[in-house]
Amino acid sequence: MLSIRGLKARIGANEVLRGIDLEVNAGEVHAIMGPNGSGKSTLGKVLAGHPSYEVTEGEVLFDGKNLFELEADERARAGLFLGFQHPIEVPGVSNAQFLRLAYNKKAEADGRDELDPLEFDDFVRVKVADVKMDPAFLDRSLNEGFSGGEKKRNEILQMAVLEPRLAILDELDSGLDIDALRVLGEAVNRQMKPERALLLITHFPRLLETIHPTQVHVLSQGRIVKRGGKELAMELEERGYDWVKAEAAAAGRA
Amino acid sequence: MAVAAPASLLGDLLALPRPGHWPDLRARAEAALEGRDLPTTREEAWKYTDLKPLREFAFRPSAAPAPGAPAMLPEAPGTRIAFLNGAFAPHLSNLSALPPGVRLLRLTQATEAAQGFGTLVAPGGDPFADLNTARFTEGALLVIPAGLRVETVLHVVFCNAGTAEAPALSLPRLHVVLEKGAQATLVEEHLGTGTYLSCPVAEVVLHEGARLHHERIQRESLEAFHLASLGARLEGHAAYALRTVHLGSRLGRLVPEITLAQSEAELELDGLALLDGSQLVDTHSRIAHAVPACRTRQLYKSIVDGESRSVFNGRIHVMPGAQQTDARQQARSLLLSERARVDAKPELEIYADDVKCAHGAAIGQLDPEELFYLQSRGMTPALARNLLTYAFAADVLATIPVPSLRRQLRKAVLERTHADGLEL
Repeated sequence: MLSIRGLKARIGANEVLRGIDLEVNAGEVHAIMGPNGSGKSTLGKVLAGHPSYEVTEGEVLFDGKNLFELEADERARAGLFLGFQHPIEVPGVSNAQFLRLAYNKKAEADGRDELDPLEFDDFVRVKVADVKMDPAFLDRSLNEGFSGGEKKRNEILQMAVLEPRLAILDELDSGLDIDALRVLGEAVNRQMKPERALLLITHFPRLLETIHPTQVHVLSQGRIVKRGGKELAMELEERGYDWVKAEAAAAGRA
Repeated sequence: MAVAAPASLLGDLLALPRPGHWPDLRARAEAALEGRDLPTTREEAWKYTDLKPLREFAFRPSAAPAPGAPAMLPEAPGTRIAFLNGAFAPHLSNLSALPPGVRLLRLTQATEAAQGFGTLVAPGGDPFADLNTARFTEGALLVIPAGLRVETVLHVVFCNAGTAEAPALSLPRLHVVLEKGAQATLVEEHLGTGTYLSCPVAEVVLHEGARLHHERIQRESLEAFHLASLGARLEGHAAYALRTVHLGSRLGRLVPEITLAQSEAELELDGLALLDGSQLVDTHSRIAHAVPACRTRQLYKSIVDGESRSVFNGRIHVMPGAQQTDARQQARSLLLSERARVDAKPELEIYADDVKCAHGAAIGQLDPEELFYLQSRGMTPALARNLLTYAFAADVLATIPVPSLRRQLRKAVLERTHADGLEL
């Protein structure tokens, strides 16, 4: 579904991704882990089409199409979703209005029927219950005054509404307490289907206790320096990131 | 064809016969206007607002036909008084359902004295306010007696109509008194068609503990000039929430002068100007904290597109001894075109030392991070821009306590910002 080959990207003069290779197939969950500043969040933003980053080398195919030929909104309508680490507040537009607009843009692109406000209300209430959100949040301005955890819950609600083929969740666990993390993790698990895939960007392995990864990739200084299964995440939980960095440095010298 | 205008527009209009009622007040306004020509951009208060276009027209009072009935507010059934070019318009008014005790009537028919009349917008200030005071013929008086809480919305509509050949002059007048502990919600609307000059004056007196929501909506014709003054005085524990919305007029100006005259008074002043084409809207607010322990919250937002211009000059004056004043002012503008222009000048004048005061002015374009967020949800760049523009404006409308008015204005903003697909 997603093939990343030799991807390099920079912001300004700073090269943040220095050659990433990654294959994600339908039905798989991939975890991108790594210390702060390793380039994890950049990878998510580059894939979603953030305008501040410049791709300097490599290619990314999404369902066989060159991702970099698509604008950010076209990628979204093609089925790519980025759950933000720091979602944006938009006072003046209600959550429900925003969700319906996003849903209808996607539906239009997929050739499905758009939903009017009443139909959408029925549709979204099921999703709201699934992420255990207070329905009152639908009438509030998008993310305005939401706590960090409520914003993350809202990101997962958007994911549930848009049903993307590939969801990239950037630091879902930041700002969430353990209970909320489990609730949202389970909601994400329920959304997983054989034709969908997930890329989890996370610093802490805790999230992977609920959402089980097919593969774990450790990023350091813009490169994937180690790959493994779920047990790699457990090892990182116990030993931290320093040993991975040391190993990578040793390999670099060899 | 426009008629060649006289050398002195104000002098010419002053030559109109002096109406009856308030002869002393009118004489003072006439004296203030004597020999006065239109202000020029050399005067500080008019630095960014050039009145030259006014000189193209010879405005005259006229009894033009009604420009079509303005939208009814379901929240104000039978509580509406309307005027056409400043004259009472019985066919547009419906006062059949005034709640007991509420006085909403024509100024010239009032049997009681209008408390504070002519003192809150006093002669010798803005020349267009003086013109109104000298020559207005009719107006609305609203009096809410002590302790009465009025649930029904009260609606005052000033309709105007004129043509380029026969440009009209309109001098709307509004006087509002809320006695001790009274509460009300007032919608003041200005609208019209064609070419005219409207110089409205409104005065608001809030006695101790009175609470007024005042929605002032300006959607004049895009060929019209709207040069308005509003004076208010708040006594102890009074709360005044004034929202001014400017959607219309070719050239619009509002000068709110509000005095917090007794302790624990609260002012909330929200403003929105949504401008395009060659519109210019100028807001000159003057807020005076005369006594200790009063509170002001002011937010003014403008969106300027095309070649339009927004001018904001907001002064908060904390007088000597007005300790524990808590005043905050924010002016935010969104520039959507390279040819549009914003002049924003917040002014804090503080003559007391134990106060909390803050002000800020921000002029900017849409935030790339916000645009990216919306695009990442499948919205095209154009839709993302329109949506954020709509949101910037709609934020000011969110707290309008009259649902039908809130919807009407959101719809108007939606149409202006082309945020299609955002069902309300």
